[in-house]
This record gives sequence, structure tokens and C-alpha cells, in this order.
Amino acid sequence: MPTPIEMPKLGNTVEECLLARWLKHAGDPVAEGEPIAEIETDKANYELTSPATGTLLATFFNEGDLVPVFTNVGVVGTPGDDVTQFRQPPPGAAGGPEAGPTPTLPPGSGAASTPSTAAAASSPAPGRATEASASISRPQASALDGQGAAAAEAASAPLSPRARRFAAGHGFLPAPIVGSGPGGRVLEADLQRLYQESARPTPLARRMLAEGYELRTGAPGVVRAADLGPPTKKLSRAREITARRMRQSLDSTAQYTMSTSADATGLLALRSRVKARAAALGLPDININEMVMFCAVRALALRPEVNVELVDGGIRAHEEINIGFACDTPKGLLVPVVRQAGRLSLPDLARRVKELTQKALGGTLSPDDMAGGTFTVSNLGMYGVETFTPILNPPQVAILGVDSITLKPVRRDGAVVFVDHLGLSITCDHQVIDGAPGARFLATVREQVEQIETGAGLEL
Amino acid sequence: MTLASDSNPTYDLVVVGAGPGGYEAAAHAAQLGARVAIVEEDRVGGACLNVGCIPMKTFLRSARLVAECRNAAAFGVEVSGVRLDLALVAQRKDKIVGTLTRGVEGLLQRSGVDVVRGRGVLASRSSVQVGDRTLAARNILLATGSRPMVPPIPGIHSPSVLDSTSALALREMPQSVAIIGGGYIGLEFASFFAASGVPVTIVEMLPRIAAGVDQDIASRLAQSLKRSGVTIRTSCRVTAVEGNTLRFEEAGKADAVTADCIINATGRAPVVEGLGLAEAGIEFDRKGIRTDDLGRTNVPGVWACGDVTGRLLLAHAATREGLVAVNNMLGRPDRIRYGAIPAVMYTHPEMASVGRTEDELKAAGIEYKKALLPMGVAGRYLIENEGSPGVIKALVGARHGEILGVHALTDLASEFIVVAAQMIEMEMTVAEVERVVFPHPTVGEALKAAVLAAA
Repeated sequence: MPTPIEMPKLGNTVEECLLARWLKHAGDPVAEGEPIAEIETDKANYELTSPATGTLLATFFNEGDLVPVFTNVGVVGTPGDDVTQFRQPPPGAAGGPEAGPTPTLPPGSGAASTPSTAAAASSPAPGRATEASASISRPQASALDGQGAAAAEAASAPLSPRARRFAAGHGFLPAPIVGSGPGGRVLEADLQRLYQESARPTPLARRMLAEGYELRTGAPGVVRAADLGPPTKKLSRAREITARRMRQSLDSTAQYTMSTSADATGLLALRSRVKARAAALGLPDININEMVMFCAVRALALRPEVNVELVDGGIRAHEEINIGFACDTPKGLLVPVVRQAGRLSLPDLARRVKELTQKALGGTLSPDDMAGGTFTVSNLGMYGVETFTPILNPPQVAILGVDSITLKPVRRDGAVVFVDHLGLSITCDHQVIDGAPGARFLATVREQVEQIETGAGLEL
Repeated sequence: MTLASDSNPTYDLVVVGAGPGGYEAAAHAAQLGARVAIVEEDRVGGACLNVGCIPMKTFLRSARLVAECRNAAAFGVEVSGVRLDLALVAQRKDKIVGTLTRGVEGLLQRSGVDVVRGRGVLASRSSVQVGDRTLAARNILLATGSRPMVPPIPGIHSPSVLDSTSALALREMPQSVAIIGGGYIGLEFASFFAASGVPVTIVEMLPRIAAGVDQDIASRLAQSLKRSGVTIRTSCRVTAVEGNTLRFEEAGKADAVTADCIINATGRAPVVEGLGLAEAGIEFDRKGIRTDDLGRTNVPGVWACGDVTGRLLLAHAATREGLVAVNNMLGRPDRIRYGAIPAVMYTHPEMASVGRTEDELKAAGIEYKKALLPMGVAGRYLIENEGSPGVIKALVGARHGEILGVHALTDLASEFIVVAAQMIEMEMTVAEVERVVFPHPTVGEALKAAVLAAA
């Protein structure tokens, strides 16, 4: 008696688990209670144990697949048992290629290495990899190479002789159906209808489906290469983490953004002096971003109520200012953290930022380099962005966005002059920081920027 | 069948033009139960049957026989006194055309299609005027075909200039021939006259003959024609025809060739004038009536197929287009796929191809693998030919091994290219081709060899 192995629901909010690793493979003997796979929720790792003693007959998912809870991931039983009935259609798969049980064989790679499809488990394994069947739209029916009607008939109502002949002649393996004949008998017409409605990939389309290409048009009948699109790419591990953090940020905070601009005359003057003389003085080539980070650090020192975290319903103040900065790397967004930034001079801060940026771009940041931030700066000014909405990095309660420098008309001595201004956008968590204190902090940042020439304490 | 008393019915379909696009479509629709009329001002069968493919191939068959007789010694056969009698060839052509025309008439009659004689003109979006008779129609299929194109060259209308229709009506062999245009029609005429022992000069405007044909094949075809006595002048722009002299320019330098007869083979133009297209609001230009892959024009209920659409100008493409249009108008979804329609040049040797050329794949950025094999890989080819430079080229997708294109230069290529067309239409990959058994010995075995060699 075959027993399905179900993905358990490991918590109230858990809707799907990652199948991290198969510990047993199809064909392996397993004992009841023996771990057969490692699974992973968003919070923890678990071992999935066998519900029965016997042979692992089939596995329906690949390592790395996200499996909805209460879905069968495999079957334990006696070799020869029919496992077809336990395979469940993935949600929303109508017309689409089956997400889970792809044999994932590269073309021309010899015999199937794992009998992970129901078809392979319930009938002789296909002799050639090129015949490996990437079935589509299995809930309806499947047209497979070299599959007899026998397996289908076992789980279905009996086929009429003509229906059986049609099935054999068309290599057509219908999913269990109730036919329109007496007692649900499956007639040839039933199969013909199913066959016409089912997707029948051309050899090229079948090969592409096996490689993960997906049906885009959803039209029944013959499926051609032109009906397919390239495989949906899985999120990288890093991207997945970023995505989850961003969602959590918007879920768990009350974000609002305000913008202002600071007279950038001093900032630009300092920058050009650095450009001209820093190298000769043994100073780093301090750029605008590093100067603004320095200003943010000073503002945080002046307004420590922003240098806090919201943890477990409480406000955790930090003595040290650990400033993170968003860094665009080939692997996506990374946020290295300059620790104890409040103790650093502008040149030292700039050195540390450059060092961390190099590591981020080179992919050599350690987890420590990205931990412990109390505030974050994100700079999109180099792309000409004039204002944007930075997303909080919880449990931090504020993030500063640095915009581009634009000319702004300013009334001066009864005339209007155009002055360079640096745009500044701040996102705060209203749970902790109300509008007025948020605005006061932003004003402090602005003042620091406008006074950078003296504030930086550089002799240039 | 239309009852005699029912003199003014509303037809489900009125087809204008009874060529390979129109008559097949009419018969198909009638066989599916539709009430169909077809309008034709000339003989049924269209240009293909009466003045195009069929007569041309009949002429070429006789010419090939002459060429084979000349080469008979290489096969150990002594033949002498070989002479092509054009009048007798034309008689045989007329007999074949007659048989086929009667076949088309029989098909239309058996299918229950009303054949209306006269010139069909759109009277509205739902009626066709033939003389004083108005045919009301739920659907109209325009299949008026094409006619030889006449380029704006001074003297092109002089009596020494023939087009494909009048050249096929020759009853005496000319002493020499000059051909304007090195496309399908020009090269077939060149092959015919050269094989019959008549000196031929081709004047082509483009840098090479057989534009659109894969380079590897086209260059070998050019060599082969040159060996058989054809002079090929490429990159030459014809400037005038004066009597029997064809004047042209090559890189700004004037040149000329004088020949007994000059054939204008610059292509065919769709017949779009005098059909009432503009009045009915149908989109068209001098390149043809605009249609989609279902055969629809921009006006609901009006469809078009074949040369008049200016798409492929091939008889078998017209037929398929007509059937697709009928299927769609009768609620049977269908769509034409141009990528798997083969093309044949009935030269000696024949050129047959289907799918994409290597240049097209390069331009589209498609990764491919290729094989160019001598036809001699097939034993039967060696048996059938002596001293003939046949080749076959296969282009296969680099990643999935699908068949992208097959191009062959060999006699009988027209008979086996359909296998390659099927491979492409059915999207077979090399793995499937491996399993197809070709009879041995056949010329077509080279096709399988080329596909497998490319993989």
C-alpha cells in the first residue's frame, strides 16, 4: 500500500517550504521515522521523515523547489505500486508546464538518472534521454512518447477496446478520467476529445520543455517552439533575501518620506579642493557621498533620538553610530556598515567606505561587514535622481536618501541667483519618529551639509 | 449544386481567380459544405498550369533528356543525332496542360463549385460583379495571381523582348538568348536553352544570381550553369533594349549583348488593378494585397491568397494560403507557417531548399551548426549522375538540434526536399531524424547524412 509523503505545515504562517536536500533518493529503502529530506521554512531547517517503512518510490520535486504545504513530495511503498495518483498538480498550472517533477536531464545525456516522474516510475524507464517526457498540463491529459494505456487504465475507469486502441496508437496517456460510457467507461470519443484538448509538444518543443522552457500561449493542440518562452529564473539567494527584507520592511513599519535640499556650494568647493590637493597631502579622494555620510553621522550625534532601533516593541538606543551605505554590486544590493563612524574623521570615514566598497564589488564582504548598522545612507544622485523614497532597513528607524545636485533659484540681495543644491530625502518610521522630529533631523543634516567646509575640519 | 431556378443565391464563398490558390480553396470549401462559386476569365489552373510551372517543367524535362543524351557516353550508352524539336515539345506540353486543366475542371465540378466565366470585380465588400451578373457572397477570396513584371527600360516593349508566357509559346529554337534577371524564372530559362545547346547570357542587377538562395548553393549553381554554356553578368544594370541588342552598365561602363531573342525575367507583379480594391477600402499597394497569417485582408469577409498577396509567389504557397483562408472563414482555426514552405528551381541540376539560409541565421543571431556535403555521399547519386557537382547543406540549431534549413543542388532534389520541409514543420530534432529510415540506395539519403553531419 503506497503512502504519500506530505510537506507538513510548520507554523501558522508557513505556506510553503523549501525542499533543501534529498537525503534519500527514489529506489532507496526507508524506515518509518527515518529522515528522507531536509526542508527549510523562512525561519528554520527541519528534517522530513518517512511516514512508513518501504521503498522511496518517487520524488516529485527537485532540490531547491518551494513546495506548498500539504503537497505530496514523494511516495513510499513497494516497488511496482502505482504512484500516479499521489502526484498533485501545482496550483495555477493549468496549461503550464509542470513545475515540480522535471527529470532535468540535459539533452543527450544517456538514460534517466532518477525516476522522478510518475511516468517513469510506473512504466519502464525511457531508454533514451531524448525521449524524456516533459509533460505539460497533466491535470487534463498527457501525450507522451512510448507510454501505453495500461498505466492510465489502472487508475481510470476501464477503456473500451476502441479507446484502448486509440490510446496505444497515439501514445496517449490520459490522467484518470470518468468516461461518457456506461459506468463511466472511457470511450474512444472521450480520448479523442482529451487528445485534441491536450498539449502535444513537437519534438523540439518537448526538448525545450525538458530544459525548463515554459508554455506562454496556453493554446491547446500542437505546441511549437514559438509557443514557449525561456525558463523563469529563480531568484538568487541574495535577491531572495533582499526581496524578503523589503517586503518585511513595508509590512512592519509606518514609513514616510520627506525631502529637502541643501545649499551645496560649500560641498562642491570642498570637493574641488580635495581633488586638487588631497593626493599631495596623503588624503583619500573624498567624494560627495562620503562627505554626506560624514554629515549624516554628525547629525545623528546631534540628534541621537534617530540613532535607535525598534526592537520587540521597545526603543533601543545606540551609543555608537554604525552607518550603513547601500552599494550596487554585480550580485545586487549590499549594505556594508562603517562601525563607530562617530569616532572617525572625514578622511578616515572615506577610507573605510572605499575599503568596504571594494570588498562589496569584489564579493569579499564578510557577514560582519554588513551587520550592526544603526542608520543607512542610500545615494542615487549620480543617476540624476532628484527625489526618491528610500526603504527602511528595520529595525532601523530612518534612512537618508542622497539625490543629485541641481540648480535652484534663490533670492539674494533683492535678486534671484541660481545656486547648486543637493537633494536629501529621508524615510522615517512613524512608529518611533513623528513628523516634527524627523523634519528636525533632516534640517540638521542639511545644516551639516551647508557647513561642511568648516565642519569637516580639513586643512586644504 | 446550384439549382437552375436558384439563379441569384448568396454564396458562402466567391473565389476570384482559378489558379492553384483559388481552385483548391474553392474545392476545399465546397467539400466542407459551403456554397461556392469561382470566377475565372481565362482557363482554370492559373498561370502555374497554363503559362508557368507546368509548361516550363515540361520544356525542362525535354532539355534534360537532351543533356543526358549528350552525356550518355559517360554511362556507356552511344547516342547520336540528338535534336530538340520545340514544336513537338510544345505539343507534349499542351497535352499535359490539357489533362491537368480537365482535372481541375473535374475537381471543381465534383466538389459542387459553380464556375462563373468572366472577369470578377469587387462590386462591394460582399458582392462580386461578373459582366452583368452580381454574385452575393458572405466571403470573398481574391486569388487573381500575378503577371510578368515589366521594368521601366527603354525599348522593353519591342517585339524582340519576350516574357515568360511568350517565351513558352516559342515554336522554334532561337539561335541565342539574352535573359534580363537571374532569379528563378531567368535561371530556369537559361538552363533550358543551355541544355538545348543555345548560347545564353544572363544579365543580373544584383552582385549574384539566385538572390535569396543560400550562398554556398547559389555559387555552385552559377558554376554549373557556366559549364553548360551560360554567360552570367552580375552587377549589371540594363539601360535599354534596341532591336536585338540588350544594353547595360557594369560599374558605370556601358556594355551590350546581342541575341536572337531577349527574355524579360525580372519577376512577377500581383494583379491588383481593376479589381475594385480601392473602392472596397482594401489595403494594397503595387507589391500586393496586405493579408495576415490567417489570410484576412483589412476588410472583414474579404480574404486573399497566392501571388496577389505578394508574399511568396509560389504555387504551393498559394494553395496553402487558400486552404488556410477557407479554414478560418469556416470556423476551423488555421494559420500558415512560411518557415517550412520549400522552394525549388528546376534548373539542371535542380536547386531545392526549405527553411533559413546561413546568411539569414547570421543576421538573426541564431546559433547554428552546419554541414555541406557532396551529394556523392549517397550511392544512388553516383549511379544517377556522372560528372555533376551536387551538394547538400544542412543547418541545425546549435542548442536543441532542430532543423533550421536544408539546401540542395542536385537533380531529384525537388522530390526529397519535402522530407526536410516535414522535419521543419514538425519541429523534429536531429534525434528524431536519426530514427527515420531512408530507403537505400536513394538520392535522398544524402539529406539524412547532411543533417546528422551538421549535428
